[in-house]
Amino acid sequence: MPKSQFMDPDVLRQPGFVEFEPIPVNQYNKTIKEESKNFSKEDFMRIYRDMAIIREFEQMLLDIKTKSEYQGISYNNPGPAHLSLGQEASAVGQAYLLDKNDYIFGSHRSHGEILAKGLSCIHKLDDKELLADMEGFFDGATYRVVEGKEKDKGNVKDLAIDFLLYGALAEIFARETGFNKGLGGSMHAFFTPFGIYPNNAIVGGSATIAMGASMFKRINGKPGIVVSNVGDASMGRGPVWEALNMGAMDQITQLWEEGHNKGLPIIFNFFNNLYGMGGQTVGETMAYNILARVGAGVSPTQLHAERVDGYNPLAVIDAMRRKMEILNNQGGPVLMDTLTYRMTGHSPSDASTYRTKEEVDKWAEHDVLVNFEKKLVEAKVAKADDFAAMREDIRERMMKIVNLAIDDNVSPRMDLAKNPNIIADMMFSNQKIEKMEDRTPDVLIPKEENPRVQKIAKKERFGFDKNGKPVSKNKVYQLRDGLFEAIIDKFYEDPTLVAYGEDNRDWGGAYAVYQGLTESLPYHRFFNSPISESAIAGSAVGYAMSGGRVIAEIMYCDFIGCCGDEIFNQLAKWQSMSAGVLKMPVIIRVSVGSKYGAQHSQDWTSMCAHVPGLKVVFPVTPYDAKGIMNSALNGTDPVIVFESQRIYDVGEQFHEGGVPEGYYEVEIGEPDIKKEGKDVTILTIGATLYRALDAAKELEEKYGISAEVIDARSIVPFNYEKVLESVKKTGRIVLASDACTRGSALNTIAQNITEMAFDYLDAPPVVVGAQNWITPCYELDAEFFPQKEWIIDAIHEKILPLPGHVATINFTETEQIRKNKKGV
Amino acid sequence: MATPVIMPRQGQSVESCIIGKWHKQKGDQVNVGDMLFTYETDKATFDEEATVAGTLLEVFFEEGDDVECLLNVCVIGEPGEDISAFRPEGEAEEAPAEAAKEEAPAAAAPAAVAAPALSDTAKDNVFISPRAKNHAEKLGVDVRFAEGSGPNGRIIERDVEALAQSGVAFTKAAQAAAAGSTDQFEGTGIGGRVTTGDLKKPVAQAVTEAMAAEEGVAYTDTPLTNIRKVISKSMHNSLSTTAQLTLNTSFDATEIMAYRKKLKANAEKLGLGNITLNDIVLYAVSRTLLEGHEDLNAHMLDDKMRRFNHVNLGVAVDTPRGLMVPTIFCSELKSLAEISAETKELAGACQGGTISPDLLTGGSFTVTNLGSFGIESFTPVLNAPQTGILGVDTIVQRAKEVDGEIKYYPAMGLSLTFDHRAVDGAPAAKFLKDLKNNLENFSVLLAK
Repeated sequence: MPKSQFMDPDVLRQPGFVEFEPIPVNQYNKTIKEESKNFSKEDFMRIYRDMAIIREFEQMLLDIKTKSEYQGISYNNPGPAHLSLGQEASAVGQAYLLDKNDYIFGSHRSHGEILAKGLSCIHKLDDKELLADMEGFFDGATYRVVEGKEKDKGNVKDLAIDFLLYGALAEIFARETGFNKGLGGSMHAFFTPFGIYPNNAIVGGSATIAMGASMFKRINGKPGIVVSNVGDASMGRGPVWEALNMGAMDQITQLWEEGHNKGLPIIFNFFNNLYGMGGQTVGETMAYNILARVGAGVSPTQLHAERVDGYNPLAVIDAMRRKMEILNNQGGPVLMDTLTYRMTGHSPSDASTYRTKEEVDKWAEHDVLVNFEKKLVEAKVAKADDFAAMREDIRERMMKIVNLAIDDNVSPRMDLAKNPNIIADMMFSNQKIEKMEDRTPDVLIPKEENPRVQKIAKKERFGFDKNGKPVSKNKVYQLRDGLFEAIIDKFYEDPTLVAYGEDNRDWGGAYAVYQGLTESLPYHRFFNSPISESAIAGSAVGYAMSGGRVIAEIMYCDFIGCCGDEIFNQLAKWQSMSAGVLKMPVIIRVSVGSKYGAQHSQDWTSMCAHVPGLKVVFPVTPYDAKGIMNSALNGTDPVIVFESQRIYDVGEQFHEGGVPEGYYEVEIGEPDIKKEGKDVTILTIGATLYRALDAAKELEEKYGISAEVIDARSIVPFNYEKVLESVKKTGRIVLASDACTRGSALNTIAQNITEMAFDYLDAPPVVVGAQNWITPCYELDAEFFPQKEWIIDAIHEKILPLPGHVATINFTETEQIRKNKKGV
Repeated sequence: MATPVIMPRQGQSVESCIIGKWHKQKGDQVNVGDMLFTYETDKATFDEEATVAGTLLEVFFEEGDDVECLLNVCVIGEPGEDISAFRPEGEAEEAPAEAAKEEAPAAAAPAAVAAPALSDTAKDNVFISPRAKNHAEKLGVDVRFAEGSGPNGRIIERDVEALAQSGVAFTKAAQAAAAGSTDQFEGTGIGGRVTTGDLKKPVAQAVTEAMAAEEGVAYTDTPLTNIRKVISKSMHNSLSTTAQLTLNTSFDATEIMAYRKKLKANAEKLGLGNITLNDIVLYAVSRTLLEGHEDLNAHMLDDKMRRFNHVNLGVAVDTPRGLMVPTIFCSELKSLAEISAETKELAGACQGGTISPDLLTGGSFTVTNLGSFGIESFTPVLNAPQTGILGVDTIVQRAKEVDGEIKYYPAMGLSLTFDHRAVDGAPAAKFLKDLKNNLENFSVLLAK
């Protein structure tokens, strides 16, 4: 909503036409002879070699999958293998010009891409760099397996090829010496020192992530480009469209500051093999006819879209050269529709019932290796024998690699019996890093001059005055101030930190947490995203993976439903799937609504807590908000920070002395006793805390029951010690939150308490959550969300009957059974 | 590593043994060969010696507990070692009494909570919270008697608390031994706790039913009658201000029985058929006391002895209102027939409540008779400041040798309590001896 851009009706209401430029389709038509000035004999032969290596690698896997044997070597590989036989030219053509600063992100069918990119890097890197990369990776664990086994002794590039093939294959065979210690596997293998970033088993999953990586490069002025490799069928996925749009959004060229205002350096490449599993994208499941057409619909640049003949490596190299020039000059994004064909099924179990033998045979006649060799022989670049010798050499190398990768002695699997915590220890990186890079952060004014900072300086940092009277809302330091203070401090500390989401800039965020941030930060560090939750979350993953820190905002918790994959499958998993190679310093700020009905009022902490790999916090006091945000921002793990719209304006009522002005951290995972008591414990998640405190007051005054109220603050991780200590003292516990009761994380906590404090319990822990309904209108709030009375009723009916108390909520067993029977 | 010590099985038929004495206490240092505890079967007593050295970390049973053979009795090891694995099943962690007390205040404000009722009958099927259960074990109460006030009648902590305050508490050993029993037990242990001993005498079901009929009230408060107050005061005064000592003896009652028989047989002719053996004893006492036993016919006062010139004989009488002791003044001057008649008259007046208060004071010596209840010997309590009281016991058959032959004779017991401050043992014994002599030769006494 920049005021600088005038939406002029006089212009906008003028008649006219949207016009398109023709989109090139397979326009490359050069001969070998014509290309001889661009490629040496060695270059041609290397292109052939790289394609042949991929061919042999995939053929080897096909043999092992289908016959449990390769060249007389027996092996059974139960893991997946989505092979790219037939697609070698497209992979090698793409990688030919890329170096280690260029990142590629792939799909489930990316063995060929990672090998091609690796081989290209090996060619470009000098021996010293290569050795450093190999020796430095997992302290040389992978390197030591192949070290000294190169055929051409002392040839580092030869050794590096062994290393690349072995690291990839050991990963596919789930060996601890693989590129990701076997935790990624076939569909996720990657090797960041060569610029090979994660492949993704979610169709189209790489598009938003790669876009985020390109944002990192543009925002932080990093060299290199980013390639998002997804399949043609992924064009059916919303997140891919979101990535195309957000990657091409106008503000980058129109509003971002000098030095950052070139389009994103990204190629959205679609390896178009014409099938999504069995679904034929042209003629059956999609509408584009020619995939490149889509580019024309996204932006006036048409995303420089083009269809390229992926069966000719030279055509792909030619296209890449032209596209990289665009990225370097005016910027991207670029869309490439790289036509190719896979000769085998989606996977070895695919009977190819959706295509005819004639079709496959016909593509076999176009076989990339056969035809490229033929052309090179015809152009007298080399003789047929040279190719045969090369293929034999590759076969020998592959046998050597296979023998190493299946040898349990040199390529062991993770020993979880010996060290049961190997994987557990990789779920979070748990590091504290003040700034991801050491340089001066790009800001517009000194922090002291920020109007919000000045405004906050005048506020009362504790919620009560000297006489114990509440400070007025206008004067009190609010929860939103706590969040702001932590965030702006980090912006002036970590140059890589960016924040974005819907209505963040100018508006200041829908709930004014970011009010005043616009004045301090340039556009490229703080901007409005399109309404594209997948792209918001997915790009944050890519941004962090590349080395940056990011705060992405999902305006309403309910919208997590729009970025489920990005949060649950991507954000949560890449640290551990990379075996700790990647860090994920991402804060997802999520606001829990209260008066906007069924699609804007849900507390989904439980959903986030269920998925391993996410830290989940819900601070509800200004002190905790600042301290937890500080912890999250200083850490290296993905943290979903829940905020309640009910209490953005609440003052600090608990921390003596109010919210400190300086830096402090509230440790994530530590619950906090907000009120001490001895007869019953009330544990809350989120804003329910304040209703629990009301309940505690009434219990004390009316029934002489002293309640201890504990604020969970974090759901994952969660330290039970304090709660157990409390329950052992009181013998009774009610757990309350605004999440729907069924499947609430509170049930997990209750179960753990039951197990660990059973002998101390005077009654089973009772969970008081919201109804298992839709959230009705605000006027019916009290019927849906846990109220003070519910907590007291639950104690009365299920824990400790209170003389004279009349319950209003039915907590009886019969009612519990009835409700569950009805699914409510 | 901690080593458990088991209750050895001394013979195939022995199922359990009773712990006699602990020679080591929890926390003591133990060396190999040290005696840990003694234990008894129904036939013999054994010593258990330590076979390992270390610290006695835990003792699972107390003296007097009947322990199943082969169960762990105690654990020896290094301080700090976890011994929970050795705890015999059902033996809960014992907390110090102080800790139990600290936890005792009910969680809920007691004033606001109606006192949970005490269940009048023990239940077999008890729903109880783990916390309440643990609390009950610490307090030693039998939760089967608790009335659950929690949801669905669950027994919760406050119910155990209420039960503990109202009564039925068990010692640990007793609780284990009583498990499964639904009888009620009367507690005679510390604080009214039911001990293993009490388990042998279940209170009759009738009592339970009577209690039930009283709508759960387990007792009735009745104000003390004045007579009871007087008895209470004088009894306590007697025992707390004097130095009482009791001597027991018996005498051959053949002659007095024969004499009484004779009187009875001639009742119509003599009109003396109502003379009882007790009357005869009274007569003998009245005569014997003044035969050199004046110290027993006296009052022990603060700084003096008051010896009486006459034998004013107190006679203990059981009445519905309590014990009363009317006086036969100058008894040594009265005939057997007079003593007998007066005794009956006084007793009747006591029982009818018409006795003159004057006749309830002035005694110099008292005779009390529990013989009719079959009491063989007892300790009469002095009617202070009197210096002596004679208890008359029942008659039992005893054997004695007469001319080389074992002969049975009726032996009547005499229990003399005297104030040792006033009288020494020998003179008291001499009185008994003289009295015995007079009774065994009653016809001679009558002739005097």
